[in-house]
Amino acid sequence: MEARPALSILKSGARHLGNSGGSGTLPVNPTPFEEKYPKLRDSQQVSTERELMQHPPAALSPLSSNSGVVGHIFSSSSGFSSDLHFSSTPKQEKHLRQAPFISQSANSGTSIILPHSCDSGILQSTASSQFTKENNRSSWCPDSLPDFLDYSFSTSIDNSQLDSINSGDIGISSEDLIKRNDWQEWADQLITDNDPLTSDWNELLADANVEPKMQQLMSKQPVNFSSQQSQIPLQPPDTPGETNTAVAQSSSANVAPVKQRMRWTPELHEAFVEAVNKLGGSERATPKGVLKLMKAESLTIYHVKSHLQKYRTARYKPETTEESSEKKLPSVEELSSLDLKTGIEITEALRLQMEVQKRLHEQLEIQRNLQLRIEEQGRYLQMMFEKQCKSGADLLKGTSSTIENSITELTGAAQSSPGKDDSGLQAGISKTGGDQSNLSIASGENSKAIEEKFKALETQVFGNSEANIDGTSPSSKRAKVHE
Amino acid sequence: MKFGKRLKQQIEQSLPDWRDKFLTYKELKKLVRLISSAPKADKEFMYCLNNEIEKFNAFFMEQEEDFIIRHKELQQRIQRVTDTRGPNGTKPSETEYKEEMAKIRKDIVNFHGEMVLLINYSNINYTGLAKILKKYDKRTGGVLRLPFIQKVLEQPFFTTDLISKLVKECETTIDSVFPASQEQGILPAERQAITVPGEGIFRNTVAALLTMQEIRRGSSTYSHFSLPPLNLPEPDIFQSLQLLSPIPIP
Repeated sequence: MEARPALSILKSGARHLGNSGGSGTLPVNPTPFEEKYPKLRDSQQVSTERELMQHPPAALSPLSSNSGVVGHIFSSSSGFSSDLHFSSTPKQEKHLRQAPFISQSANSGTSIILPHSCDSGILQSTASSQFTKENNRSSWCPDSLPDFLDYSFSTSIDNSQLDSINSGDIGISSEDLIKRNDWQEWADQLITDNDPLTSDWNELLADANVEPKMQQLMSKQPVNFSSQQSQIPLQPPDTPGETNTAVAQSSSANVAPVKQRMRWTPELHEAFVEAVNKLGGSERATPKGVLKLMKAESLTIYHVKSHLQKYRTARYKPETTEESSEKKLPSVEELSSLDLKTGIEITEALRLQMEVQKRLHEQLEIQRNLQLRIEEQGRYLQMMFEKQCKSGADLLKGTSSTIENSITELTGAAQSSPGKDDSGLQAGISKTGGDQSNLSIASGENSKAIEEKFKALETQVFGNSEANIDGTSPSSKRAKVHE
Repeated sequence: MKFGKRLKQQIEQSLPDWRDKFLTYKELKKLVRLISSAPKADKEFMYCLNNEIEKFNAFFMEQEEDFIIRHKELQQRIQRVTDTRGPNGTKPSETEYKEEMAKIRKDIVNFHGEMVLLINYSNINYTGLAKILKKYDKRTGGVLRLPFIQKVLEQPFFTTDLISKLVKECETTIDSVFPASQEQGILPAERQAITVPGEGIFRNTVAALLTMQEIRRGSSTYSHFSLPPLNLPEPDIFQSLQLLSPIPIP
């Protein structure tokens, strides 16, 4: 039966999280967990429990919060749920099955902590309208972010690198640090335990394209977490104010958290306006009616209500909204209405303002792109470094001094330079196996390439004065601005 | 300390309602300093960080929603005004039309400005986060920064593409709404120093630009994660823009 091993894994895993040094073995100790399990039974969702039995990986999610290691458990659970969300795109049906389970669990008592998946609608988002995907960016999970971080960070990188990431500490306090080795083994065990999910997990872990889903996931994290955390001794001292109450209400009321954030888009707004017009205008339309007409997934009546309110305000007081920030500005228009000439001056003044604003916008865009690039490079670098560590660890088993040397050389180069195409590197390393000479050649070549690439990047980013840099995007952007 | 000061300046010169929505850089820095001494500071730091991001997201999305609504409304308004003028043949009142258009121009330019300021808000908070994470890593020897920043990059408050799009649309609309500009050029070099009074959007925009310039002036901790100095064309324009000291808020 699957339930049993699931439970024991759950617990032993939990225990491992508590220890900073853990091995791969998972001792079985059912007792404490069964104490918690009755809590689950007592929770509002009995079906949850049944599903628990049937879906071991998902079973990791609803864990009691009242233990010493809870911080880690639900972080791992959050990790799991994140997986479930990540894979929502390729494997919608399977996870739809699990998703309702999760959302049920999220709504149950305090003993269950889960990322609230709002609606299963979200999981259907990829297939369905743009709206859901773009709009379901609710609050950032203010909780065990590091744990999240750990998990989602790993999922964005190859499966093979997970171990190396484990060894590379993400500098969070040891209490919060999940031991990836254990995690990975859990996952493996669970995969073998439950075949239908195997492919999911493998795909999940190997899925490099998790960014958009990560965002969904991140955004779906309910404020639940922080409040739950505040009940636990391990967690930060101050309790959040409003979020706490909001969630306390919601979790006890078994209703979606009120604080779910909806990200509106122009298209969604268009649909809204259409619906409102059909219903006779902004004054006459009711939120319920609009909601029905809009037929947008994952749009709740609260969203519509607040949006309608904003809409009404914008329509009937167009000037107040625009001018609220201008209260203190000496009113130029008072003068202008008298004189045509002044009218022209005003227009000119506005033009000037426009220019400055355009300039700021331009610069902001450039800056943002630069920032994105910088982080991308940094990530590349990190990836390479991890790969180095891993392949270094593997190859070291062969104990060859030449290999060690070339690896450290490569690592050194990798550390000092931002990302490079790692395909060549990987190829070089995987080819070798035991062939030392190849490796040293490959690493030598790659080191040189890395150095060159770094220099190119440096000149790209910093080298304004270097006129001979062409065709690199930041420089070309500068060139454009220059004209 | 430099960034902290700049941030403070920026906040002072931002729209009143926005002032408490910025990054609490100073507090976070304090927490980072405490980390080595107090074990709980670490968690609290993480907790604060998350709360900050939550704050940014909430504010940003709220504003974004407003902007979407206003954008549409402006377009409809312009449509109404231009409609009354042209197709019917009847020109209701030239002066009325002119007045309406003047108002629209003002409103749309301010609207544009506000949106750009929101993007600026997003950016400066991001910069602050990156800096504080760098400090954290330096303190703890950890590697929190990189993965955390990756997360941040995907947060709603930093994905400003929609607002940028609205801004550009606004610019197109503005071009159509403004009479053709005279050939004298908008910013002649001989123009004397322009003082930017008040606390309005224009002022804030100028402040934002100047702050950006300052922030990006090379620092002692330059690394390949640092942004290069700001490269403003025609720098004389901005030098000619002086900011009057803000009216103190009672």
